[in-house]
Amino acid sequence: MKFKKTASLILTALLAASALAGCSKGDGKSADGKTTIEFWAAPNPTQQVYWKEMAKEFEKKNPKIDVKVSPIKESPTSEASIQSAIAGKSAPTMSENINRGFAAQLAESKALVPLNEIEGWDKLIKKRNMTDTIKTWKFSDDNQYVMPIYSNPMLFGWRIDVLKELGYNEPPKTYSEVIDVTKKLKAKYPDKYLWAKGDLADPTAWKRWFDFFMLYDAASNGNNFIEGDKFVAKDKAGEEVLKFMDDLRKEDGLLTKQATDPFESALGIFTDLGPWTFSYWEEKFPEMKYNKNFALSLPPVPDGQSTKNVNTFADTKGIVVYASATEDERKAAMKFMNFVYSNPENDLKWLETTKLPPARDDLSSNESFKAFFDKNPELKPYAEAVPNAIPAIDNAKFNELQTHIGRLAVNPVVKGEVDPEKGWKEMKKAIKEELKK
Amino acid sequence: MMKKNGTGWLFASPYLLYGIIFFAVPLIWSLYLSMTDWNLISPVYNFKGIDNFIEAVKHPGVQAAFFVTFKFMAAFVPMVIVSSTLVALVIHGLPKFKGLFLIGFFLPYLASGVVSSLIVKGLLSQNSALNVFLRGIGIDIDWLSTPLSALLVVAAIIAWKFTGYYALILTAGFESISKDVYEAAAIDGVSSSQRFWKITLPLLYPALFTVLILSIGVSFGIFTEVYQLTGGGPNYATNTWQMEIFKQAFTNLSAGYASAVAIIASIVTFAAILIIRKLLEIWGKRNGWV
Repeated sequence: MKFKKTASLILTALLAASALAGCSKGDGKSADGKTTIEFWAAPNPTQQVYWKEMAKEFEKKNPKIDVKVSPIKESPTSEASIQSAIAGKSAPTMSENINRGFAAQLAESKALVPLNEIEGWDKLIKKRNMTDTIKTWKFSDDNQYVMPIYSNPMLFGWRIDVLKELGYNEPPKTYSEVIDVTKKLKAKYPDKYLWAKGDLADPTAWKRWFDFFMLYDAASNGNNFIEGDKFVAKDKAGEEVLKFMDDLRKEDGLLTKQATDPFESALGIFTDLGPWTFSYWEEKFPEMKYNKNFALSLPPVPDGQSTKNVNTFADTKGIVVYASATEDERKAAMKFMNFVYSNPENDLKWLETTKLPPARDDLSSNESFKAFFDKNPELKPYAEAVPNAIPAIDNAKFNELQTHIGRLAVNPVVKGEVDPEKGWKEMKKAIKEELKK
Repeated sequence: MMKKNGTGWLFASPYLLYGIIFFAVPLIWSLYLSMTDWNLISPVYNFKGIDNFIEAVKHPGVQAAFFVTFKFMAAFVPMVIVSSTLVALVIHGLPKFKGLFLIGFFLPYLASGVVSSLIVKGLLSQNSALNVFLRGIGIDIDWLSTPLSALLVVAAIIAWKFTGYYALILTAGFESISKDVYEAAAIDGVSSSQRFWKITLPLLYPALFTVLILSIGVSFGIFTEVYQLTGGGPNYATNTWQMEIFKQAFTNLSAGYASAVAIIASIVTFAAILIIRKLLEIWGKRNGWV
């Protein structure tokens, strides 16, 4: 009797669940013909506000599409959350905050939709004026998996106040000039360092974007490091970068121990700087003023190399559409992107909110952004460097490969444990073996 | 028989269900995954047999994890046993407010590993007051980039975290030793060292045994502090099993391979705890404590 009761209860629950599930037609449209797209935004309040505002405006003009914006969970990282969601078949329609390396991992596993296959892609590129910028984003299979939101050319910051004390009016541009600065710095301030950065001794893969790749992209004139499954890095450029680091070490110009706010406290006078730093400084270090106590420059280059149009690493992130999205959801996602990026005002709003340079060709020439850059002159060098910025490698094994760069080359060289040539050779061997796997 | 024990099964069912859902099913799934090259995302994956296991035992990260765990054990277990025993002794000797002090020492156990790691990172930075002072007296240590000091720093944070928890167990052990025994020993003229070896240690042995086994278990599960402070470096010097599994599964997207590492880690953990437990039991029996 009891069993019958329990069984009928379970059956009723199952029927109710089936009936509820029936409300959705399985093509991404609800019974009222509305398409709902789920958009995972970066887990920071400013980007949340931006995307929610965009979604609201879009929905007003497109009543048949709902855009649900929610933050990507960071448990423990946003990448891990996305992987878990895909594995658990609960991936959103689209998400932002995806770097090129992670996109390559997802694309290799067929988890992403090639955006160039969705109608409206070409229109989007044209309308946003990003024909040149998007070229460096093409993946090795000739597809475009990421719609770049911002392309942030990484620049080096210099403590110009200290440089002036040493007799320099502008940052040095070549390796030998930097070594001269180091010598003068150590003579005047033995406790200060040229580059105080604990991450130089850390093998974590992404940390190489903000030291090795900035210097390598500059030294190699933007030559690729990996193409498809091939190691194509210029040996000369790579060895020169490592030798530069080694020379700085020999002059006692490197501090590879962790230090709190080393650049702000002028313990180190040279550091990689992204535009996100300035909002942080406004709050925590209001005394940091552009061209008063810090200046910005492109990476230094080996002696004899042109110091004009120097390449640098581009910290870039963008939007992807997941393969689990239905046809209607894909179309709606493209429509949403077209809505956001067809109006430069939305990019301006982005720039004002996040201070991250939109990935467009006309950033330094479009009148819409002029007033912003006049008001924020420290961001102008970033906008100007966009065309020379090289995005991250698009190999799915980028984590393993960049760990080899750290573990076998950069980390031991800055500690004086291996000479630059040997470090490069061992790194190259390990990377080639990894690519063969 | 089933009908007779119905109530028992009913009461045990929540745990059984929990065990099946969160232990048995993931274990079987993990065993299966460990023989594939699945990356958590791809709909297609291949059967690799025992290749993942062979690759894992050859990998420097896995080899490091094996040895690093025992190094952590060698540093953390003595640290936490000494500190928790001292805390327990002090609290045991207090005339009042024992509970209040125990709660105070227990609080770090509830603290977030991320927060405590970040605080320590700040304390050990090159320009921290501590390091400025140390350099002033001629001591200059690269705390987190030197293999030994990085290992000791992580072990010390975990010891700090667990001291209060283990002190709670040891205090209960101290409290259970009757004062009469000490009084009788004093009348018989027993010296203080004899009192420790012949009375305190044997009677504290059950609590100490528990704390030892628990702390050895902790050594196999270290992650947050390493993830936050050293990332497993320098050059794998603090690379724990959990760190290696995390890196392979979520950074390198090699879920199949990471499952193989997880299985190797669980076998090593199970075997090590079993052996150490047996040795502790033999030690206790030989001395007539159990």
